[in-house]
Amino acid sequence: MDDDVLTTLKLLIIGESGVGKSSLLLRFTEDTFDPEQSATIGVDFKVKTLAIDGNRAKLAIWDTAGQERFRTLTPSYYRGAQGVILVYDVTKRDTFMKLENWLNELETYTTRNDIVKMLVGNKIDKDDHEVDRNEGLKFARKHSMLFIEASAKTKDGVQCAFEELVEKILQTPGLWESENQGQKLRLGDQEQGGGRACGGYCSIP
Amino acid sequence: MAADSDPESEVFEITDFTTASEWERFVSRVEEVLNDWKLIGSSAGKLSPEKGEYTSGTWGEKCQDINFADFKFYITHHFLKQECEKDDEKDKVEEDAFPLAMQDLLCMNNDFPPRAHCLVRWYGIREFVVISPGTNCEAIISESKCNLLLSSISISLANSGCQVPMFVQIQQKWRRMYAGECQGPGVRTDFEMVHLRKVPSQYNHLSGLLDIFRSKIGCTLSPLPPVNITIRFTYILQDWQQHSWPQQPPDFDTLLGGEVGGVEFGKIPFGACEEPISELHLATTWPHLTEGIVVDNDVYSDLDPLQAPHWSVRVRTAENPQCLLGDFLSEFFKLCCRKESTEEVLGRGSAEDEGKENSDISSALNKLTEPVAPVPISKLSVSNMVHSARKHIRRHRRIDESPLNTDILNSVLLYVFPDAAVEKSSENSKNKPAQSNACGKAEQDKNSDYNLFLQLKSAPIDSLTYRLALCVCLVNYNHGGLRAVAHLWQEFVLELRYRWENNYLIYGLAGGPPDLRCCLLHQKLQMLNCCIERKRARDEARKVLEESKERERKVSGSGQNGRPASESATASASKKEVSPGKSWDSWSDSEDEFFECLSDQGEIEAPHTEGEKDGSKSKAEGRLHPYNNMTLLNSTEPLYIPVTQEPAPMTEDLLEEQSEVLAKLGTSAEGTHLRARMQSACLLSDMESFKAANPGCVLEDFVRWYSPRDYVEEEVVDEKGNTVVKGELSARMKIPGNMWVEAWETARVTPARRQRRLFDDTKEAEKVLHYLAVQKPADLTRHLLPCILHAAILKLKEEEAVEDIPSVRKTIQQATSQASKLLHTPNYDYKKLEDFINQLMAMETVITRARSLKAKFAMCEGEKVEDTDELETFVSSLLEEPEVVVVGAGQGPAGSIIHRLFVNAQRLADFTSDEAALLAPLEEDSGRDRKQTAGSNKVPDFPPPAGREILVRTCVPRPAPYSKALPQRLFCVLMREEFRLAGAFSSDTSFF
Ligand SMILES: Nc1nc2c(ncn2[C@@H]2O[C@H](COP(=O)(O)OP(=O)(O)OP(=O)(O)O)[C@@H](O)[C@H]2O)c(=O)[nH]1
Ligand SMILES: [Mg+2]
Repeated sequence: MDDDVLTTLKLLIIGESGVGKSSLLLRFTEDTFDPEQSATIGVDFKVKTLAIDGNRAKLAIWDTAGQERFRTLTPSYYRGAQGVILVYDVTKRDTFMKLENWLNELETYTTRNDIVKMLVGNKIDKDDHEVDRNEGLKFARKHSMLFIEASAKTKDGVQCAFEELVEKILQTPGLWESENQGQKLRLGDQEQGGGRACGGYCSIP
Repeated sequence: MAADSDPESEVFEITDFTTASEWERFVSRVEEVLNDWKLIGSSAGKLSPEKGEYTSGTWGEKCQDINFADFKFYITHHFLKQECEKDDEKDKVEEDAFPLAMQDLLCMNNDFPPRAHCLVRWYGIREFVVISPGTNCEAIISESKCNLLLSSISISLANSGCQVPMFVQIQQKWRRMYAGECQGPGVRTDFEMVHLRKVPSQYNHLSGLLDIFRSKIGCTLSPLPPVNITIRFTYILQDWQQHSWPQQPPDFDTLLGGEVGGVEFGKIPFGACEEPISELHLATTWPHLTEGIVVDNDVYSDLDPLQAPHWSVRVRTAENPQCLLGDFLSEFFKLCCRKESTEEVLGRGSAEDEGKENSDISSALNKLTEPVAPVPISKLSVSNMVHSARKHIRRHRRIDESPLNTDILNSVLLYVFPDAAVEKSSENSKNKPAQSNACGKAEQDKNSDYNLFLQLKSAPIDSLTYRLALCVCLVNYNHGGLRAVAHLWQEFVLELRYRWENNYLIYGLAGGPPDLRCCLLHQKLQMLNCCIERKRARDEARKVLEESKERERKVSGSGQNGRPASESATASASKKEVSPGKSWDSWSDSEDEFFECLSDQGEIEAPHTEGEKDGSKSKAEGRLHPYNNMTLLNSTEPLYIPVTQEPAPMTEDLLEEQSEVLAKLGTSAEGTHLRARMQSACLLSDMESFKAANPGCVLEDFVRWYSPRDYVEEEVVDEKGNTVVKGELSARMKIPGNMWVEAWETARVTPARRQRRLFDDTKEAEKVLHYLAVQKPADLTRHLLPCILHAAILKLKEEEAVEDIPSVRKTIQQATSQASKLLHTPNYDYKKLEDFINQLMAMETVITRARSLKAKFAMCEGEKVEDTDELETFVSSLLEEPEVVVVGAGQGPAGSIIHRLFVNAQRLADFTSDEAALLAPLEEDSGRDRKQTAGSNKVPDFPPPAGREILVRTCVPRPAPYSKALPQRLFCVLMREEFRLAGAFSSDTSFF
């Protein structure tokens, strides 16, 4: 059914609680904004197919809870991700100050070091900015990340953020090719039991 | 047909080709190719090649098919890639300059290039075209055919004005016979060749060859212009004699024999079992000789190799010398493809049997532990227990059946579980493993090699998993292959079960949840350790609780709240829990077990506690500590952080399973809701603990601790004009019926220790143990493969560091990043892994070559330091370059060693051939006799040269004394079974 899909990519959204991670994802996948979005418990998951330069990439996006207490659980989902979106709230300085911590956590738990990182400053529709755009830029440059300011509420920058990230991943062939055969995320498709310990080299009866 | 195959000439030329012969067509095809390849016009103007440029530069090749009637030829252009000369420079070149090839004939900068086409060696040319018969085509042997081809190229060259020399290959391929021609303005060079099986005796020396040269150039000038001579003799050394390969394969049995503890394990063998350098070729060269300076004729020769001004050496390496690391790896890798299960391999002890065995042990252990139950025995040493458990197993298996010898098995197990060897005198050794790991880690972090396990997804050096991998590899290689591996694995799993059942932490694993960056097996072992740790904590807590209750009961007397009854229930429940060797259905009911322990049911269970203000203080339970001096919103009580349950540790396969389940719920709103609900167990548990620790609390209190950003505080001015801080839940928390509110309403007032366990350690431990037990030997090998490759890379690094070989160092680096890619995919590509292992083996071979050469060119004591440096450089060049100049020739430090090597080989050859038979019986009185013999027919220092190359060059007018003086060259090769003369003779064509 996914014959025309070039590859499946695993993306991750992280950042402090309440910065608007789930809202950004909802805006990207369903193009809506739900003010009644409740705080995420554990992890949430969404899928979207994106066409980039004529190639269709299927995105499996894991939205994680920002709350301190869930953090022991969520890093397990960092495994195998090819791209990560790190979000802060431009109207809350403390969410920006915590970015360094998030990067450390990312470093500790991701399984690959060539993961593509994007920094998103969210809620630019609001007036009371506490973090200047240049500060975001500076941080992103320092940590070799992509950077954009966005608003889940007004749509600004959201689509662009995801597209840029995916494009960058696709430009790094080593990042997705090998993972492509290995990615076991088959939706609605039962995994054959028993065979997981055996590779393709020797046939199991 | 002609028109079809050659449309271009039809268009551009009006000549009628319909009557053209095959020969004419062939000539025009050749011209066409020369045109296509832009080989037309003056080739002069390029600089003469630098010294050694033929070796250091790169050679290019262009090839195309070309037909003569239906006979297929290849036409190939060979050329040294040089920087393009500037166009304007080319214009300056005189019209009638010699073609480049003619200049090259005399150039002395690149005689005897070690790696080049034979025509380059023979004629010194940097560019040429060869026409040779296609594959599976007959060789051109008949003289008429040869002449036909030669005249074809001659006409093509003349027609096109191409100045690049062109050759045709004649006779059988192996003879490497070429004839050719080069044309320039008014000049021509003919390339001719003679090839014989034997060297004719009259030409077996310089003077005979000079006669040929002179007669060939037919120069009548007197005195004759000087002839430049270069001579090169090559000597081969095959017999290394006392310099034979010094390394012996290690004796594995002594490593493991007798009393030796496990320390010897964990080393990977390394090195070649046979000589990796098969031959040494010494080339002695006399450049720039002139006639008369040396004498070399049928009765006498001046050419003493020791006196040659120029020496160079090349080595021939053994093709695939047997090397230990390589053997070790490939034997291990072969196991990956075996299909047998452990039971099949060991022949008996089927699954049920194993279960029975286990329950036997556990009942035996029960007997042991009964007096102190439920806390396991602390007086016995671990090692005693390891042994008693294994002894029991062995009773079921007759000793002679055991694939792995008992002594070896014991030392392997002691290496893998070193804590078992420690005589356990005090309680604290129980905690030791975790501590020693922690500090070991901090130290190792500084070492960059330490982090290699992250790149390879293996396990930290010296972790249990890593050590197990080394042992499995060694046991497979040296102590019984597949069966021994199966046996070791069975014992290993048994020991783990024993530790789980007796609350002994597994030594050599970092604490905390499984490290997802390591291989799955390592994660599983860590998981088991987590289970053991939780179980121990539970047992400890229960003990403390029981002791305190004991005291309480003594004070308050019995009968209150029916407590004694529930306490005895606790005791029986806990007994049931520790009882080891549970079957699969008995653990399923353990889901009802509670986080810390089952306790009195009499406490408040009501979901809402707000109403019960009085007495709530005394009922607070499970408090950790106050939170930031905050007080509850509805009272003056401090807000306490509760003791909470730790979330369940996960291995990557569990995690994958879980994320698949979560992903399958789909992306709809209901899916999202369900997903949240499934993951809310931890939230709910925290809420319950919070309620228990903070009687009278409300959701706002919880949120202030748990998700402070969702409690919005605002300064407002009240009616009286005072600013007060007013707080409320964030908008998203206030949505009616949202998951948080819902969970808060269902949460009961229960401290963590009375909650149902979030992590069922009993169940998880059994799952891990079962998983381990069903792994076939092949599965095990696959699990351990990253660790073995890790160890092999470290070993190579270590050995390389000793020898210092830059090329190997670079390859190791590349190989590591390649391995990183191969090992991070969940399904290994075994073909690529095999290639990777071959690459590691190749590196080992290179290192052993270095080692062998170093042994051969080792300094004798008392020699100069500069010489040592020089020898080191010499050896490393031998490894990286095709041919190496010996500084100082026969007199330099390397030269004198080479000389000595030859002398020794000569003596021994002489000894074995002539004197061995005589000497053996006469040994005692032969001293003087032998000296005399040795003195009378002195053994020469060097054997006869395996090859002699003689190159003579001059520039003389030809064919007539008044012609232009042109380059003439003759290259002679004299070997035992080959005699070759390759001549290039130029003549002035202006007046002929
Ligand atoms: N004005 C404005 N509000 C936003 C925007 N994005 C999110 N919000 C609001 O911010 C609050 C938090 O948004 P969420 O998307 O739930 O935040 P989150 O990062 O997923 O939080 P956690 O799940 O707790 O980690 C919600 O009330 C959103 O309505 C935005 O771009 N502009
Ligand atoms: Mg969220």
